[in-house]
Amino acid sequence: MDKRVNDQFLEELNARGVSRREFLGFCAAVAASFALPGKAEAEIAKAVATKPKPTLVWLEFQDCCGNTESFLRAGQPSAAEIILDLLSIDYHETVMAAAGHRAEEALKKAVEENKGKFIAVVEGSIPTGAGGAYCTIGGRSALSIANEVCSQAGATIAIGTCASFGGLPAASPNPTGALSVAEAVPGLKNLINLSACPANAENLAALLVYWLTFDRWPDLDRYRRPLFAYGKSIHDNCERRAHFDSGQYVEQWGDPGHRRGYCLFKMGCKGPVTFQNCPNIRWNSGTNWPIGCGHPCLGCAEPNFWDSMAPYYNHLALDKTGAQPNIDKVGFWATLGLGGAFAAHAVAKIAGSKSRVIAESAASTSGKGEEA
Amino acid sequence: MKQPIMVQDSGKDKVLVYVWEAPVRLTHWLIALSVLVLAGTGIYMGNPFLIAPGEASDNFYMGTAKLIHFYGAIVFSLAVVTRLLWMLLGNAYARWNQFVPTSTRRVRGAADMLSYYLFLRRNPPPTVGHNALAGVAYVGVFLLYLMMIITGLAIYSVSAHVDYPMGAFGFLVPLVGGLQSARWLHHFGMWLILLFVVNHVFSTIEVSALERNGVIGSIFSGWKTVEKEQLDLGE
Repeated sequence: MDKRVNDQFLEELNARGVSRREFLGFCAAVAASFALPGKAEAEIAKAVATKPKPTLVWLEFQDCCGNTESFLRAGQPSAAEIILDLLSIDYHETVMAAAGHRAEEALKKAVEENKGKFIAVVEGSIPTGAGGAYCTIGGRSALSIANEVCSQAGATIAIGTCASFGGLPAASPNPTGALSVAEAVPGLKNLINLSACPANAENLAALLVYWLTFDRWPDLDRYRRPLFAYGKSIHDNCERRAHFDSGQYVEQWGDPGHRRGYCLFKMGCKGPVTFQNCPNIRWNSGTNWPIGCGHPCLGCAEPNFWDSMAPYYNHLALDKTGAQPNIDKVGFWATLGLGGAFAAHAVAKIAGSKSRVIAESAASTSGKGEEA
Repeated sequence: MKQPIMVQDSGKDKVLVYVWEAPVRLTHWLIALSVLVLAGTGIYMGNPFLIAPGEASDNFYMGTAKLIHFYGAIVFSLAVVTRLLWMLLGNAYARWNQFVPTSTRRVRGAADMLSYYLFLRRNPPPTVGHNALAGVAYVGVFLLYLMMIITGLAIYSVSAHVDYPMGAFGFLVPLVGGLQSARWLHHFGMWLILLFVVNHVFSTIEVSALERNGVIGSIFSGWKTVEKEQLDLGE
């Protein structure tokens, strides 16, 4: 490694209150999340310290700013945040100092000067209803901005479930005609979805470090999410998994099982159908995560999660409010009802044939006189 | 390849017909048994009502239910596939055109059976194998079985071990609308199958009592008693 560059980098880290030890710890953690051997840590440290920082443009469309919050969250400055700070973020609507025409120019300049090289990060879904009028910036629709910027980017990162899959704005009945980035700008090369509501900033940092280190983007799953972060279900890595296999479940909030940390499956946990590395990297600098503090997984990283995962505290309900009984209750009573109906029919038939026999025998014994 | 139909004289007006060949009977009972096992374990897996006492390591309730469910699924899937293949290889009563009505005779038979059920006709149309209407209903049942196999494979694929061949069925996940929809369909399908089982068992008992043609015995032995004049070789 070029010593001067390295020293300069370490000075920069020190100025931000991050020691060399902390920085190497971060590199080791990233290497571990890619399942790479120990030596990779040095490679990663070298790449992060020496490679030119990519230009990054952050576009916010139909969103709640949650991913920006996740990205900027600062309990204490962590190495991951420093790495993200070191990116050349030339345009970010929420945090940039510039406004108005200055901001527009910054975007134009970043795109033109780094054409085919810069990274576009898109947060939020892209509305297409009413000619795109539901979300406009500087008089232009989100759809036209996304098309212009993303098509010129070297890579596009859809951050959060809204940008990845449409998310809440695209939930039924989708009044604004919201689309994901993949749907709104079809045919993008190097589109990577970092779903979840919000996406974990550690995964964004790891994704960028992967690219800096290897000069390529990581392998993706069928929903274009990096396998290193979305390759395993929450359920398969869950710390409460032993309770699931054993048969120990929380049945009510605050019951003895809940206090003992039993499995949250019966409380509607969507961990078995959700893919993310929450159990491993957790949230808020590794402090905790939803299941760790006794709340079921909502399945926020999956496509259509607002529609298919609701109601959150129930499985397989017939409607989204959870007021209706679930499919298993309906099925149970329907099956019992049909069985009962058949049984009643059989009883009626037997009783009917018996009474006919009695009636016939009664008719034969009473003779013909009554007919007259 | 088509198996000939065996017929034996039995008394003066009646004949014995070998309707259900061994693969038909075997798959019938394997499907029946596996459906009961799958539904039993599946109901527990959807709503684990038994809570294990003690330490997590002391018990394996859910794990055992899943294990039995997966073995049951293997038996069920292979039995369904075998029965579907036998639709191409078996005798006239086992063949695919007993289910999908392709001849006008079968279509009329289905209409006649429907009018019998609607009390518009006194006697059911004579049939030796599946009646034409039941055949059509079984198309639905087999589609339901296939839906259960497909959603089951989709759900299973995501927890398959790395590089384990079952992971290859992951391509089914988006086709069934995601995993949560797959689960919903899997539960819904189970109840439809259980409703079918209830209907199937009761109506068989009733038909057997009404028509006295040994329909229940036939699924054990393969032979059905048929009036000579009603003999229909399913051609």
